Amino acid sequence: MSSDTSNSKGSNVGLIALVVGIVGIVIALFGFKQGLDNNDARPLMSWLIGIGFWISIAIGMLFLTQIWYVFHARWPVIIRRQCEHFMAAFPYLLVLFLPLLAVVLFHDNPGILWKWMNGTNALPGHGTVGEDAIYQWKQPFLNIEFFTIRVFMIFGVFILISGLLRKFSFDTDKTGDIKNTHKARVLSSLGLFLCAVAMTMGAIDWFKSLEYHWFSTMYGVWFFAACMRAALASIIILTVILAAKGYLKGILKQAHRYDIGCMMLAFTVFWAYISFSQYFLIYNANIPEETFWYNLREQNFDGTTNSWWWVSMGLIFGHFLTPFLCLLWYKTKVVIWRTVAISTWILAFHILDLYWNIVPGKLVNPDPHAAGYLVRQFSISPYDIAALVGIGGICIFAMCRSMKKAEPIPIRDPNILTSLNYTE
Amino acid sequence: MSETYGIIASFPDTPSFFHAAEKVRDAGYKKWDTYSSFPVHGMPAAQGQPRSKVPVFTFCGGILGFTVGTLIVWFMNAYNYPLIVGGKPFFSPVFPFPIMYELTILLSAFGTLGGMFITNLLPQHYNPLFNSEKFLEVSGDRLVIAIEARDGKFDPVATRQFLEEIGGTDIEEVSK
Repeated sequence: MSSDTSNSKGSNVGLIALVVGIVGIVIALFGFKQGLDNNDARPLMSWLIGIGFWISIAIGMLFLTQIWYVFHARWPVIIRRQCEHFMAAFPYLLVLFLPLLAVVLFHDNPGILWKWMNGTNALPGHGTVGEDAIYQWKQPFLNIEFFTIRVFMIFGVFILISGLLRKFSFDTDKTGDIKNTHKARVLSSLGLFLCAVAMTMGAIDWFKSLEYHWFSTMYGVWFFAACMRAALASIIILTVILAAKGYLKGILKQAHRYDIGCMMLAFTVFWAYISFSQYFLIYNANIPEETFWYNLREQNFDGTTNSWWWVSMGLIFGHFLTPFLCLLWYKTKVVIWRTVAISTWILAFHILDLYWNIVPGKLVNPDPHAAGYLVRQFSISPYDIAALVGIGGICIFAMCRSMKKAEPIPIRDPNILTSLNYTE
Repeated sequence: MSETYGIIASFPDTPSFFHAAEKVRDAGYKKWDTYSSFPVHGMPAAQGQPRSKVPVFTFCGGILGFTVGTLIVWFMNAYNYPLIVGGKPFFSPVFPFPIMYELTILLSAFGTLGGMFITNLLPQHYNPLFNSEKFLEVSGDRLVIAIEARDGKFDPVATRQFLEEIGGTDIEEVSK
């Protein structure tokens, strides 16, 4: 393996990603500042969408790595290494989360994005957050101090476990010590529980608590399904690029793509199952405390269909039905351009899913005395793109930086031969 | 003896068996098969077999199940005996979805099972190859390639010679 030439190539990509990332982040932060000055939550949502998208990929890869360890999966060993490289993004994502935390801690109106953080924020038709019985009941959990602690706990779990898994795997490259694999396996058995709790907590804190009135026990699992789909689609794109660039040339086999494709199909169904179940239970129970969340995503106050109805339909047909039908076909899972196309499609709709979950979460300046409210409509702001590209640039920079530290594949892993010779 | 069903040849080990299959494929035979007591990885490709048709049966079963599930709910709750349950509409794609979904899965599974039987020509209690004592050893350790007489390229002398050339041993004709 000509590691010298590939490393220098990798550093160029990393440098470009860093520059693009910084430019994107500067633009997104400019929007962030505008949002703070004008008391507008939308640019802060752009930032949250950007973080949510990239962290979902990293979380999904972290879960996949641990699941593969726990099941002692032999075939994905060469893919696992790529996940380990991407997981280097977690510490950077924590740093990138800090602007949101700074608003919460130091801004005059901490409730600019998460409305429950400011007791004087108005609710449509019934006073303020501070007077709200539901908020008072949830206050022991939903308060700024505990929220801040949770952010560090959530990221702490991800950073610690991904860091240890990376260390065990990279050490095996040098020493060939099989104990590393055993340690990683034990850690994964525990880590899956910790990561499940951390991920659920993150989903509840960052996305669900935008509308703290609402409750859904499916929400954590929804985010898990979304993370897995995002990670699997990213793995396809990443490994295909790495194979084309030479890192995995002749190593990534059709069988690997086929199996990842099968998992993409499985998690497409799983995502639909979870998303539909959440809707189904709320629809059947028909309790106003829960149905309002879906009402906002369908109708304006006056009952007219709003833009979110179209987005909802887009999610049903674009995020479920189209990938589902395409992935049923064998060729979609093995023909390279088709796998990349369907992966890109899934990632695009994953972003739309995040929009759908985040953007209607805060009404446009509700009037506490009037009965009406104004739903924040679907829109793609330039700051969304800046945040997605910027945060992505930093994540890719982190990955490229990690790639210089270890071999492209875990050459001394006990299962490497099985993975290299894997056939369908 | 009656009419010839085909010619069988045995092979000493898996690699020679595998490569012999590739040669039979490349020689252009169509009505032939390989027999071993264990699966040989890559054998379908070595035999030049197209992908299985079973997924088509699964898909058709699924579509049928989804349609039947939808119609059942519509017929029962909205047409034959309109029934208000929980203030919901008589028919909607939302509340009966579990039924549509379960029937999709059930009939996909039936489609898969039926498709497997149909494409494998099962149930089949008798095959003329059972007339050969040597062939019966396939369930033990014998690896056999059988070329059938109904193949267009089949010729009693030339096919026997061909099987010898590709390394077959214990070659014998099997009658119907």
